[in-house]
Amino acid sequence: MRAVAGIGLRAQHLDQVVRERPAIGFLEIHAENYLLPSPALASVENLRVDYPFSIHAVGLSLGSAEGLDEHHLERVATLVRRLQPNLVSDHLSWSVVGGRYLNDLLPLPYTEEALDVVARNVDRVQSALGRQLSIENPSCYLAFAHSTLSEPEFLAELARRTGCGLLLDANNVHVTAHNLRLDPNAWLETLPGAAITQYHLAGYAVNDADGEPILIDDHGSPVREAVWSLFGRMLHRFGPRPTLIEWDTDIPGLPVLLAEAAQAQAVLRQGEERGARAA
Amino acid sequence: MAPALRDLQKAFAAQLLGSGITIDTALPVAGDSISAAARLRVHRHHVLTSLSKALAGTYVTVERLVGEDYFKGLARSFITNELPEGPVLAEYGAAFPAFLERHPVVGQLPYLPDVARLDWALNMAFYSPTGSRLTRDHLARIPVDDLPLQCIELAAGTTLICSAYPLDRIWAATQPDAAEEPVDIGAAGVRLLVFRRPDDAGFVVLEEGEAALVAALHSSSTLEQAAVAATAANPDFDLSTAFSRVLGLGVLLHCSKDGSVTG
Amino acid sequence: MSTGRMAIAAALAAALALPATAQAQGSMEKCFGVAKAGKNDCQTDHSSCAGTSKTDGQTDAWISVPKGVCQKIVGGKLTSS
Repeated sequence: MRAVAGIGLRAQHLDQVVRERPAIGFLEIHAENYLLPSPALASVENLRVDYPFSIHAVGLSLGSAEGLDEHHLERVATLVRRLQPNLVSDHLSWSVVGGRYLNDLLPLPYTEEALDVVARNVDRVQSALGRQLSIENPSCYLAFAHSTLSEPEFLAELARRTGCGLLLDANNVHVTAHNLRLDPNAWLETLPGAAITQYHLAGYAVNDADGEPILIDDHGSPVREAVWSLFGRMLHRFGPRPTLIEWDTDIPGLPVLLAEAAQAQAVLRQGEERGARAA
Repeated sequence: MAPALRDLQKAFAAQLLGSGITIDTALPVAGDSISAAARLRVHRHHVLTSLSKALAGTYVTVERLVGEDYFKGLARSFITNELPEGPVLAEYGAAFPAFLERHPVVGQLPYLPDVARLDWALNMAFYSPTGSRLTRDHLARIPVDDLPLQCIELAAGTTLICSAYPLDRIWAATQPDAAEEPVDIGAAGVRLLVFRRPDDAGFVVLEEGEAALVAALHSSSTLEQAAVAATAANPDFDLSTAFSRVLGLGVLLHCSKDGSVTG
Repeated sequence: MSTGRMAIAAALAAALALPATAQAQGSMEKCFGVAKAGKNDCQTDHSSCAGTSKTDGQTDAWISVPKGVCQKIVGGKLTSS
């Protein structure tokens, strides 16, 4: 299947997308917004007839040492069965401790213990869903002093142990590399390309932390030039994959999202043509 | 000695919700020209802000009444006392009306907890299933003598709110196209019925008899039981007009023989 | 109203014969709706994986006085409690 570009389907665009049925490769929703019946879920089911879907969860909390919320997992599994998406994903992070949900993608230390925890949780999710889960690389604002693995090593080993996919977010690579003083190209080197199932592209903001710039993955602006460049390098190294434009804050009109998706689509095509010529 | 992941996660949560970032050896965050504290603050800011936004998204009318900045203070106080139990944020904040009851703001804005109840009811109604509802046609096919014995339920997401304040007018005053005239909270109170409609959620103002019928249907099973209970509560109650209106609102379901609910 | 079964049956039958009114009393207020995109519609996308950027001048101090539409809500009555 040719790699296509998609957009995140947001509540304020639902009605317009239902009416206009724009040409777009796929639509992505956040699972947690659609686990209850609602007019929005009805619109999504309507759209599923015409569009492939990708389900991106934010609340499975794969890094929780206390294990998964089985009730939540069951509800996500029900949505997955209902919508039959092309891809199901969540993040390399944690959000739950003491049975309470913190509504942030919190960072993990990259240790053997954390690897065991995440692998166990990913196995459980894949078993409950009856299909592969893809794990997204996080945007990092801090690192733990006692980490023994690099993030790409951690992801590679996780994929090897569980057979999970990797959702490679170019914006997150860029943000993490800046905030943790890493080289993004070296970061990409250690990643196993075969495990990659999808790419994400998004915008970031620049904040001040102790008088220095810190990048915030706020999905609130167009994809930045440096991230388009990184995306190009990813395509060159790993090849094409379905690519999502992710915009969650200060959401623009639908035409803006579709235009960014078209740009991603053009870059994917160029990459494919270069690959075909090289073969 | 590296902390166990479970302890690290507890320590992290404490930093996010406590009064500020502190040094904790259970949380060995690396710092360089950007300190560990500044890095942790990014997460602290996001957790509090995003949960506050989620509450504002649910308690829309409360926020419009008190303003964005004051609402953030209310939200922050609520959040640090009670985190969500799960990641479905549409389900977060059921205890907010009760929280407002205990908050000093109620001295200035005594109607605020009722407004919060309305916002919550609209939220619950929005996230309820549709499905076929009981109609006149359904009932017209039943022999008249059997009508009182029909088992009838309120559809999921249907809530009756009785307020001492003119809640409907307070709500209307917060809408984008609202008139400029002030609303007098000394005016008569109302009974509102909040419910799911095909494309959204909404509410209507009920007469006393209609509200009595709805309240009776909530705790009865047959129409006869509901009629008796409503009459006991309200001797002037007119069953015909009340039932006609409530039926017409599309909030009733027929219980089927095996106890499951059908329209 | 008599609460004998026959009276109830008759009243219910009469209800079915009444014309379906377009909510003549009380208003049908619209609140939620995916149809109201971009117009102060109620937020249904609570979950996302976006971080929060600090806006300029944002501090941790919240204001202590409510200052919204509540200024239009006036009057009062003796509370019974």
